[in-house]
Amino acid sequence: MTDLAKGQPLIEVSGLRVSRTSDERTLLSDVSFAVEAGRSLAIVGESGSGKSLTVRALFGLLPSGLEASGEVDLAGVRVSERPKELRRLRGSTVSLLLQDPFTLLNPLRPVGRQIADGLPRAKRTREEITRRLAEVGLSADVAERRPYELSGGMRQRVGLACALAGDPRVLVADEPTTALDVTTQAEVLDLIRRVQKERGMAFVLITHDLRVAFSMCDEVLVLYAGRTVEKGPADAVRGNSRHPYTRALLAAEPPLDRRLAVLPSVPGSVPAHDAVVGRCGFADRCALAADACRTGTPELRPAGPERWSACVKADAIAVTAAPEPAVAPAPVLADPAGPALLDVRGLTRTFRGAKRPALGGIDLRVAPGEAVGIVGESGSGKTTLARCVVGLERPDGGTITFDGTSYTDLRALGKADRARVLRGVQMVFQDPYSSLNPVRSVGAVLAEALRAAGRDGGKAEVAALLDLVGLSATVAARPPAGMSGGERQRVAIARAVAGRPRLLICDESVSALDVSVQAQILTLLADLRAALSMSLLFITHDLAVVRQITDRVYVMSDGVLREEGPTERVLDSPADPYTRRLLASLPRP
Amino acid sequence: MSPSVRRTPLRRRLPAPAVAVALLVLAVAAVSALFGGLLVPDATAQSLMTGITFPGPGHPLGTDELGRDVLKLLVAGANTAVLGALAVSAGSMILGNLIGLPAGYLGGRTDALAMRWADLVLSLPALLVAIVVAGVMGGGFWLAVLVLVVLFAPTDARVVRGAVLEQRSRAYVEAARLQNLSSWRIMTRHVWPNILPVALANAFLNFAYALVSLASLSFLGLGVAAGSPDWGRTLSDNKAQLFANPWAAVAPGLAIIITAAAVTVVGDWLQERAERRRLAR
Repeated sequence: MTDLAKGQPLIEVSGLRVSRTSDERTLLSDVSFAVEAGRSLAIVGESGSGKSLTVRALFGLLPSGLEASGEVDLAGVRVSERPKELRRLRGSTVSLLLQDPFTLLNPLRPVGRQIADGLPRAKRTREEITRRLAEVGLSADVAERRPYELSGGMRQRVGLACALAGDPRVLVADEPTTALDVTTQAEVLDLIRRVQKERGMAFVLITHDLRVAFSMCDEVLVLYAGRTVEKGPADAVRGNSRHPYTRALLAAEPPLDRRLAVLPSVPGSVPAHDAVVGRCGFADRCALAADACRTGTPELRPAGPERWSACVKADAIAVTAAPEPAVAPAPVLADPAGPALLDVRGLTRTFRGAKRPALGGIDLRVAPGEAVGIVGESGSGKTTLARCVVGLERPDGGTITFDGTSYTDLRALGKADRARVLRGVQMVFQDPYSSLNPVRSVGAVLAEALRAAGRDGGKAEVAALLDLVGLSATVAARPPAGMSGGERQRVAIARAVAGRPRLLICDESVSALDVSVQAQILTLLADLRAALSMSLLFITHDLAVVRQITDRVYVMSDGVLREEGPTERVLDSPADPYTRRLLASLPRP
Repeated sequence: MSPSVRRTPLRRRLPAPAVAVALLVLAVAAVSALFGGLLVPDATAQSLMTGITFPGPGHPLGTDELGRDVLKLLVAGANTAVLGALAVSAGSMILGNLIGLPAGYLGGRTDALAMRWADLVLSLPALLVAIVVAGVMGGGFWLAVLVLVVLFAPTDARVVRGAVLEQRSRAYVEAARLQNLSSWRIMTRHVWPNILPVALANAFLNFAYALVSLASLSFLGLGVAAGSPDWGRTLSDNKAQLFANPWAAVAPGLAIIITAAAVTVVGDWLQERAERRRLAR
């Protein structure tokens, strides 16, 4: 290990650039940062921003065909010029914690041994492993267990223990809690922060979540289309951002404590890095864009003490405070005694081999035109419930009444009844990528949906349907390949509303999308609900999202409904301890 | 960061040399199979005066016992060997898809029935059954092809079923189910195009097997009629003449091996390309 002068950064990156060797396409350029011992930096960006490429380039883990240039110093060693040195320093000086606790660990080896792999040879003792497990809040007996016997949060704790085994001086974490539930996420983030402070490590966090970034780190670097747009102390960036993109991102983050009349969203989606060469990458989505933004690449320039911004109007932005968005009036609640569009009674389902039922007798109703949320963590049964309603899953018992037709198993219903139910209720899935058939064009998908609903599915109808979801008619000829997540989700929504359903079920339909796109889709869903006078059954784990889009909410965990009531009431004064715990675990800066 | 991460990018655009050679081999085989009769109309012309000779002027691979030019026999023999194998792999692909698609998509009893049938057929030693059936029924080229189709189809069915199972739980299939489309329509219009690359890759593998199997049957006298130009038959006819002109037996054998290998190489290459295209989505 090299001794460093006091105050010299443990990790220093300057002019990092990643390009493809085959066609010289640049994917990332001009990324520079430095982190000292005990300090932390968050690299924030949406998908396509280049944040994962940055990590991979740092560790020399770029996929074949990609090449990095620029300077990287780790603990005083210029590893960018000496890849062999990097190999020596990985694990011992700099260590990486990855996103997915399910693929991170070898499923067949006891976790104690996997931690021991990273320990110095002399220290591979039972006592040391116990000590390492205790550091991440796990008991000694965990050492003997295999990853599949552990929960997601425990696995990520083990992952952290593995990452810390070589006593690194720099810890890099790539979306360490994205795959975890909200409550687990809070625990793991607390743990990482505590360990980082105790060990005085330099810490680099890669995340798409601004809230997590601000709550975890001293400094924030915002990436957009493969370029740094803003850098500065976390508090300063949060309170008074100097770049329109950061501002837009902050504004698009739905607030938990109030329902906004209009969710601020950013039009369009993140462009490819080389599609915006010689200009500001954000110009096309920016309300402040001027000619200067389109004729040259704005350099990252100082914008106050320890702050940098790549906006030509950084100084002008500084004085204008972001306008406070208007709060929506309280929704008119449906009469609980009135007629129900969907009425679920005592629904049960136990999967084969499961210890507890996925659905333990659920009662739920949705009135015509009402927007109802179901909030719960993974494994709560919320998705199973939705799938039972549309007949993708068979309940064991209970009744579902939709618009006068009662059934337990939709598939067992007569042909005519089943067709009537499926015309009335449709679903939008979570993953915009798998929900569109890769070999069928958008037009073919929508025409088929229109015909299935008894319409002619001609070109004009397809164009009108695309227009309804805010897409241009030219999209019809395209295959889903090359479309962004937001565009795909719009197509999926168009397919679901082709037959003008009376109830649209959204199963985590915005959780796979970037924040700036998420707001667009939420707005679209709210608009469609009003335009088509549909009911909405919105299933999500995100309490802030549920606040924006629903009138009434059910809180669900372990297959049981914990609480029900107007969204405002449930989120402001939760009655059930589980709801309270859920609310308390959201990251707060 | 390090120059060592640079990998040759050209490989992504141009096929590797092995693939180029394999494509060339297949082109030659295809031309021979389709136009062999026109290219060498006198392939079976005997010249008992010449008899069996070593390679020499006028006969690059020499002649066989009946004085027929070995090279011309090879060109003419491609017809039954290659087209027969093509018929087997295409036929078993169609049959396999017809069985595997509903088995994978519908599951339940359909699946159980189809898979037990596949187990049953696969548990039989394929070539032995082909020999017995062809022998009992009196042999003949098309009978051999038909028997091989039935014997090869279970592997296709299994491969297709596996690929369908993977697709079935995808959200786009569930979305199609929510539109109340018929199972037949979802299977044929939505799922099938997505598993076609897998089915095709398997057909390429089968082609290589079929080539060898058909040649074996012809070698045993159960395929094409005696005296016809066919790689397997020519090999069989000349196996006793290894010392007089080894090429008369070795050349058709090499033709079988090289063509089978080329088909596998091209099949792998096509599958890799399809996979890359899929990942690029």
